[in-house]
Amino acid sequence: MTYNVLIAGVGGEGVLFTSVIVARAANFEGFDVRGTQLHGLAQRGGAIPTHVRFGKAVDSPLIPRAQADLIFALEPLEAARFCYFAHKDRTNFIVDTYPVKPVYANLFDKEYPTYEKIKQMISPFAKNFVFIDASHICDQKLGDPLDGNTMMLGLAVASGMLPLKKESIIEAIKRTVPKDPEKDIKAFRFGLEYKE
Amino acid sequence: MANPDLMEKEGKKVVLLGNEAIARGAIEAGMGLSACYPGTPSSEVGIALSAIAKQAGFYFEWSTNEKVAYEVAAGAAFSGVRALTAMKHFGLNVAIDSVMPTIYTGVKGGLVIMVSDDPLGHSSAQSEQDTRFYARMGLIPTLEPTNAQECKDLTKLAFEISEKHRIPVMLRTTTMVSHSIGTVKLGKIPQPKTKGNFVKDPESFYCLPPALQQLHERLNKKIDTIELAYDYLNRIEGEGKIGIITSGVSYQYLKEVKKDLNGLKGVKIAKLVMTYPISRSFVTKFLKGLDRVFVLEELEPVVEQFVRALAKDVNPRTEIHGKDILSRIGEYNPETIQSALAPFLKAKKPDFSMHEAYLKKIDLPARKAVLCPGCPHRSTFYAVKKVMGDQTVWSGDIGCYVLGIQEPYKMEDFIVSMGSSIGLAHGIQKVSDQKVVVFIGDSTFFHAGMPPLVNSVAHGTKPIIVILDNGVTAMTGHQPHPGSDFTGMGDKKEPIKIEDVVRSFGIANIKIVNAFSQKELQAAIKEMSASDKLGVIISRGLCRLYMRRLLRKQGGEFSKFQVAPGKCKKCLTCVKQFACPAIMHEGDKVYIREDLCWGCGVCAQVCPVGAIIPAARRKKNDV
Ligand SMILES: Cc1ncc(C[n+]2csc(CCOP(=O)(O)OP(=O)(O)O)c2C)c(N)n1
Ligand code: SF4
Repeated sequence: MTYNVLIAGVGGEGVLFTSVIVARAANFEGFDVRGTQLHGLAQRGGAIPTHVRFGKAVDSPLIPRAQADLIFALEPLEAARFCYFAHKDRTNFIVDTYPVKPVYANLFDKEYPTYEKIKQMISPFAKNFVFIDASHICDQKLGDPLDGNTMMLGLAVASGMLPLKKESIIEAIKRTVPKDPEKDIKAFRFGLEYKE
Repeated sequence: MANPDLMEKEGKKVVLLGNEAIARGAIEAGMGLSACYPGTPSSEVGIALSAIAKQAGFYFEWSTNEKVAYEVAAGAAFSGVRALTAMKHFGLNVAIDSVMPTIYTGVKGGLVIMVSDDPLGHSSAQSEQDTRFYARMGLIPTLEPTNAQECKDLTKLAFEISEKHRIPVMLRTTTMVSHSIGTVKLGKIPQPKTKGNFVKDPESFYCLPPALQQLHERLNKKIDTIELAYDYLNRIEGEGKIGIITSGVSYQYLKEVKKDLNGLKGVKIAKLVMTYPISRSFVTKFLKGLDRVFVLEELEPVVEQFVRALAKDVNPRTEIHGKDILSRIGEYNPETIQSALAPFLKAKKPDFSMHEAYLKKIDLPARKAVLCPGCPHRSTFYAVKKVMGDQTVWSGDIGCYVLGIQEPYKMEDFIVSMGSSIGLAHGIQKVSDQKVVVFIGDSTFFHAGMPPLVNSVAHGTKPIIVILDNGVTAMTGHQPHPGSDFTGMGDKKEPIKIEDVVRSFGIANIKIVNAFSQKELQAAIKEMSASDKLGVIISRGLCRLYMRRLLRKQGGEFSKFQVAPGKCKKCLTCVKQFACPAIMHEGDKVYIREDLCWGCGVCAQVCPVGAIIPAARRKKNDV
């Protein structure tokens, strides 16, 4: 069976970093890995998700429709945007509730939907979902809101939503940020052990 | 930051981006030189090579444009050194004038041209170009990988084919190959051969008639030889009366949906790896005995037309499908392939009606790409509009500033090709009396902006030319250009100053302004607007995203701005006209998100009541 992770967010860096960690960790565990990493306009506030797929042998780089096992969203609107890939029999969502209101919502006075509304949008597509104010918590507890995605990786591994070993993730972090892995490992462990 | 896996040992399995795998393939081929110009979806080939050039021991540069990059690589290959250039499809339009003759002359060392198409235009605004036509026009042998492993292996093979047959070879990808990741088993890295020697060879290099015709004949023979010699690369899978011919990422999608298409029982698949020249004997053999054939390829029916022509002779009764069931527009995905084939393979069409109905109900605010917070271009656009109003013709060009096309600025009336803004402005002014303002980036200026500027001077039109000098080629990932202070090998260098170049064309009317100062910008534009001479404004301010990366490497951050409580009069100038993504408007509150603010302070200059002020510093080393 192939395990399909869709990583969504705003701004690019957190999304790319997370997908690199997941892909490396899966590789360390001997899986065949495929996926997408669209660079393009991702950096300029666009909403471009990455796909990471791992299993015995994977073909398409894109997750087929309704076959995501995990939607890992670093921003709540972006969780709702990619329901195309989700299905209630299969898909878990883990969502950072820290919102980034799009410029165009400001310009044209469009409402940013409430969390309740976003939850309602997601539920027909979700087997299970976890909403967590990760960036905010990391800002307060670890001093950097940008640790939110790494903390969420910890939560996803601890809850079984991401079926990879914590040792593989730590190895992947060390490989990805060899100069200073401690900051990310700390955020990851913080997520692993996090209790509300 | 270089991906450490790029230099991993032979035999290791690592995950690489398609483009990184191409870079690794070049290293495994012992490439001695690479010259590129960035263009997504090809940029990461150069980015990867740039990051490891020193460690791996080859030469790398970001050249001024793709034509120059190709010539640099060809010069190395003329001298017996293996060389690679990578570019996006539009880059090949720029380079093609030098590519065509070198296919005739041939090379001594292997020469690989990596070109990436971008169906759907993930990172391309200008057209959905299908580069495979160039292979046919220029008689360029072309290989097409379907995944990251093949990206590596076929790059290596492309060097071997090129060197053996003494002809440049193209490696063509699409976005979903270049930008997909995959497990790659690595091969051996040899010592790169970086030293060559140009040996005079009039028989190959003197391409004047009548020698030209002899070279043409030699070329035709090479292509015939290559067609037969690499037949073995194409593969046949399965057996049956129905055939599917495919290449590139479509092959991967087909494999993915195999289980939903009755396991493709009774179906024979031909995977084409060399898509020019296509092996006639391979396709002939494949077509024999088939009732029906499907050709799966994104964009134009290039392979389909080849198959149709051949089928007339070898199996005229075969029914051929391709663009009658699949689009020429955009890109495919597993579902498009499944839906197109299902009716013919007696498989169920996927039913997502419930899913569709739910999706329809979701109405989300769009999140389009925008200029970064603190982007110098936003400040420049704002100032120009303030002075020039809405009626000016905005002659646009290619770079991050294409985002100025969007609300609320709408300050690129057209976007054609790199460097086109100045020639178009000249043409407009020759036939109308309108005011024209040109926006052109620094990298674009060096790439293709200099010839049209000389032309404007020589033929006397007077647009206002705003050169957006942010120090790097920002859009594609902050590569250096001739005006940057570093090289593709990471060394420091003296920047070539745009003002010196412009002055040398005989233009005296030049203003250099700080892109983050509304006062300086607006004063310069007023002055230029009143002048009756061609004017150049160089709006200089480092790309904010690039600056932020440099800063964060040193553990610093930008200091922030805030809306002073009680002072804001809710005029919404900062929200609706300046439109920085860090400035929020909710209910009757206007505020700046500290985590999104990159501290340029331009909003404080545009606020008419002075309500925006610096926020308290968080850390000592913040700037
Ligand atoms: C012929 C061609 N080559 C490359 C590209 C890809 N490309 C798009 S924008 C851009 C960068 C332009 O840089 P600059 O003019 O400095 O603007 P900036 O992005 O820095 O604002 C490039 C290389 C292209 N569109 N066409
Ligand atoms: S990358 Fe640089 S030039 Fe491009 S939008 Fe961001 S700040 Fe502006």
